[in-house]
Formats: sequence, structure tokens, C-alpha cells
Amino acid sequence: MVVRDISQRKRFLNSGNVYLPHIAVIEKIIEETPTIRTFHFNIKDDKVREQFTFESGQFAEYSVFGVGEAPFCISSSPTRKDHLEVAFQKVGRVTNAMNRLAVGDEIGFRGPYGNTFPMDYLKGKNLVFVAGGIGMAPLRSLIWNVIDNRAKYEKVTIIYGARSPDLLCFKYDLTDWQKDSSLNTVVTVDRGTPDWKGNVGFVPAVLEKTAPSANNTVAVVCGPPIMIRFTFPVLDKLGFKPEQMITTLEKRMKCGIGKCGRCNIGDVFVCRDGPVFSYAEIKGLASSEY
Amino acid sequence: MKKIKKSDLNKLLSQWQQKYSVFAPSNHGVVKMTAWDGKDTTFLDWYRNTVVPPKNNFLPGMEKMFDIKKDAGYKLEVTADDTKQLIFGVRPCDARALALIDVNFKDGYEDTYYLNRRKNGLLVGLGCTSPCASCFCTSLNIHPAESQDVDVMFNDIGEELLIAEVTDKGKELLAASSGLSDATAADEAKAKEAKEATFKKVTRKINTGEIKERLMPSFENEEYWKNVAAKCVSCGICTFLCPTCYCFDINDEQSKGEAARFRNWDCCSFAVYTKMPMENPREEKWRRVRQKVNHKYNFFPMIYEQIACTGCGRCIRQCPVNWDITQVLSTLPEKAKA
Ligand code: SF4
Ligand code: SF4
Ligand code: FES
Repeated sequence: MVVRDISQRKRFLNSGNVYLPHIAVIEKIIEETPTIRTFHFNIKDDKVREQFTFESGQFAEYSVFGVGEAPFCISSSPTRKDHLEVAFQKVGRVTNAMNRLAVGDEIGFRGPYGNTFPMDYLKGKNLVFVAGGIGMAPLRSLIWNVIDNRAKYEKVTIIYGARSPDLLCFKYDLTDWQKDSSLNTVVTVDRGTPDWKGNVGFVPAVLEKTAPSANNTVAVVCGPPIMIRFTFPVLDKLGFKPEQMITTLEKRMKCGIGKCGRCNIGDVFVCRDGPVFSYAEIKGLASSEY
Repeated sequence: MKKIKKSDLNKLLSQWQQKYSVFAPSNHGVVKMTAWDGKDTTFLDWYRNTVVPPKNNFLPGMEKMFDIKKDAGYKLEVTADDTKQLIFGVRPCDARALALIDVNFKDGYEDTYYLNRRKNGLLVGLGCTSPCASCFCTSLNIHPAESQDVDVMFNDIGEELLIAEVTDKGKELLAASSGLSDATAADEAKAKEAKEATFKKVTRKINTGEIKERLMPSFENEEYWKNVAAKCVSCGICTFLCPTCYCFDINDEQSKGEAARFRNWDCCSFAVYTKMPMENPREEKWRRVRQKVNHKYNFFPMIYEQIACTGCGRCIRQCPVNWDITQVLSTLPEKAKA
């Protein structure tokens, strides 16, 4: 019997009942955009909080008790241990309920789940981060991780866009990154406003114009499917090979641990085998379903 | 090997009932494994297989995962189900189906709800004597009258039932049971003959040879899958009654200050199953039907090297529009290669 080896992964600490969430407390809420918020939170139990570890790219299941559970990536970096962060967009029942929570309220948290960005593979490479909208959430964990270990990586380019200036998430990060001379941070919007001084243009087009070299480079792309679909061909044109393009996939998830069945693309379960995939891997999947 | 007179089966089940919650086939309502009433063994005459598979005893259609209590903060309370179930009359196909579900619930993360029930449960198999026309277990390497997936196996030899221990758990059960007599060589010969006769009665066949390889090339054949899916009404019966289907949903319920988290069977025939706020990879029915067939005969085998179907035939017998998985598999566009 072939069982995918997930033994080396960072695992949920509560080894007894894997469906039982930890209680976590919201410590701060940031309005990113009119529909997107970030929670800063911490696991309530001291022992669990101290033992908890994860890696960039992993996700968790978040509960609003009495309403339900939904999966989101952990948007903070494992290099910053003060608290955890999650960003979510108000689109469904659970996220609407999350949106009604206040500082001090408790949520359920189980994770970390899924695979991680390939940190060893990224080491010593030039990195190009391409994100759109809330797609910055998983990337931001990786970007902070890279910044906190800056010497391990070569040139870093960040290209981030949203439909309009008010829809850019993590504006405080963007300001920091733009000030950091070790990063090349390009922020763009599809449609500007009178007081917008930055770039105007779609992410793939701005990427093409920025034209990072593909030599010894890995591009990590996160965002709405439509943006990803237009970004891969641009990378291809710039000379990136499928193994040099990395993304995260999204599916409806419930269990988060490969049991409930719904998040598969062919024989791959996005919750357990993903969410991080290279374009080379995706191309080999039952393609019409990703 | 042991044996018991059919007319004494109720005494044996009564003994077991002292220690276990005994379940046996009942046709009061839909045929399923039901808490045994302490006397009725007439199922020996009418029972072919249950409509609701015994997975229901281990992965119930709906179960509470935990209560959500709130005073100063939230407290989650799990009430473990430690019932010692003894299921009598499990058919070989359904015993194999549980072994297949075990694989999913053990792999990687252990599902304590399901595995706890399995650990506390005993399966007493009963070999088939009259398979249905829709059964095709033999094509999936399952013998309709033999099983290694149960703890104890019973076989009909006329007036009596032959009893074989299969696992250590089964051995202990029999060692602690009274009223059994030793089977003779003649009894065993009778059983062998009966088993062979039953095996021959399973006439529906499918070709499972290189099934993954034959399914793969048709995956993107939209026209073929649209055709296959045409009459399906996405009712979900074939999934809910399939002994190997384990997909589930998790939901919270709350009313009047009380809240709990539940899980319930889910089904890949439903569009909501994969629906995300902005998109749905299986909005169209043909994609869902394709997933159903491929999960069982292609994807699950890719991961675990076993087909996730036991040929129990329920999805054929119970489908309101006569959708037939054996027909689908025998009309694959790559059939020429078969
Ligand atoms: S039982 Fe028949 S109609 Fe219902 S979902 Fe299954 S194949 Fe479709
Ligand atoms: S797919 Fe049909 S025949 Fe196969 S195990 Fe499920 S219900 Fe039985
Ligand atoms: S979310 Fe349940 S299997 Fe992936």
C-alpha cells in the first residue's frame, strides 16, 4: 500500500482527536479593504501556544463556534512568533460571522495543515513574488520569512496588484517593503484614482514590463485563478520553466486532512498534498478541474 | 471449526447480547443492521443483503463530534461512543468495504470517531447463498461466501451454520461462547460445495484489468461523460448506500444557546459539494459523475492500489433511473484496448 508520507510535516499538536480545534483569542483586527480583514490571534492554552509551529504555505481550519469552519492560510511568518495572523474576505456564511467578531472574541483553530513552500529549493535563488488581491495572504508569510533570512536568497522582486487602490491588502507591509532597498517592490492597480501615484496596469502586464530574469529564479504566484492563468504564460515568455513557477491552489475544504473527500484534483488532495504546487505538477493533474 | 443449529442461533446471539450491542438484519422499514430484538432470526430465510450498508454502524449518517459550551469562554466536549457493537450477518462485500474505509481513516491523520467504533466493533460474517443479479463482487476479487475482513465467518450448510474464526478477536469471541459443537469433515465438505455453488451464481462481470489505464484516456472525453451522466438525477442514493463511500461534511448547529458540531455523509453527486464562493470545479453534472466513477476505479487505486468498489450492486439496485456502473465501465471509449 502506498501512503503519502506526511510524517515530516508540521502537524496538529492535539494527536488525539484531530477534529477538535484549539481555542484562540483575537488580539487585533485590521480592516484591509471594505471586505477583507486580518485577525492577529493567539492560541489560548499556554502549553499549546508555546509548542505550536508551522511553515510558510500551510493553512488551518478556523471556527466561528455555532456557525462553522473555513480554511485559510496562515498569513504571518513562522519567523515572527508574537502572534498568528489570518486574512479573510467576507464572502460566505463563516466569513460573514468572522467579520462580526471583535477583539477578545474566541475562535477555533486547528492546523497547521498541508504542505509548505519549498524553502530548501528557494534557498540561493532569485525570487519573484507575484500576487493579486487577497492572494498576498499566503505569499506574505513567505515574503516575511525571506526578509527575516535575507542573506539566504538572491534578488527579490515583489509584484502586487489589486483592482483599485482601496482594494490593496497589507498596505503597511507594502510601505515597509518599498522602503527596503534589498527588495524591488512594484505595486499596481487595474484602475487608478486621482490621488494614486503608483503603477496602473494588470499584474501579468506589469510582470512582463518588470521582466525579471529567469536565470536561477523561482516565481511564486498567488491570486485569483484568472490572474494565475494569465501570469503563467508571461513567465513562460520570460523563460521560466514549469518547475520554476509555484502557486497555491484553492478548493472547497472541510476536514483539511484528506478525509472528507471534496478537495481532490484527480488523485491529489489539495488539503493534504497541497496547497503549494509547481506548475510542472499542476500540468500533470486532471487538468480541467484545477 | 464449529457449528450451530440454525434454530439455536437466537441462543447464541442472546449470549453475545450480554456483552455486546448486537445488530442483525431487520426488514422493519428499510433493510439494515438494526439493534437485535432478542429473538428474531427469521432473517436467515429472507436476507440477501441490507439496503443500508453496515458502514452506517461505524460512520453514521449523522454524528455529533462535540458539544460547544460557553460560559466565560468556549469549551468543547466530546462524548466518545464506546459502544461495543457486534454486527451479525455482514456480507463479504460489505466487510471488505469497511476495510477500504479503514484505509482512508487511518492514512496520515487518524480519524478517532470512526476508528474507535471499529476498534470496539466485531464483525460476524454470513456467506451469501443467493446473490442478486446486480452483484458483481467476484470481479473485484471478493468471494460471496468467504471473507478475511470479518472476525468470525458463518456459512449456511442446510440445517446448521458452519462457524470459522478469522481474527484473534473472533477466536476470543468463540472461546467464550457456549452451545457450539465441533464441525465434522463432512460439514466442511458441505460448506465448500455450497460456497462454490454461490460463487457460480454471481453472473454479472466487469473487466477490472488495467482499469486505471483504461479510464485515464477517457478523462477529458466530455462527450462520453455527458452521455454517461445524462440520466442521473444527482439524488445521491448511490453514494449514501454505497458501503465504500465515506465522504462527509462538517456543520455546526445552534439553537437556544446550545451548539454542537456534527458530521454527516456527503456526496460528490451534489453540486454544493465542491462549491466555493466564487467558483465551482464540478458545477456540471458530467464532471461529478466522472469524479464518482474515477474516484472508485482510478484515483483511489492510484493512491492505495485497491479499487474502492466491492461490487455489492447497491448502486445498481437502488438507483431510481437505472444508472449502472457496470455498464459504464464496460462501455468505456477505450474498450477496444480491454
Ligand atoms: S442513484 Fe442514480 S440518479 Fe441518484 S445520484 Fe446515483 S446514479 Fe445518479
Ligand atoms: S460503487 Fe456500487 S457496487 Fe461498488 S461498492 Fe459502491 S454501491 Fe457497491
Ligand atoms: S478538505 Fe477534506 S479531503 Fe481535503
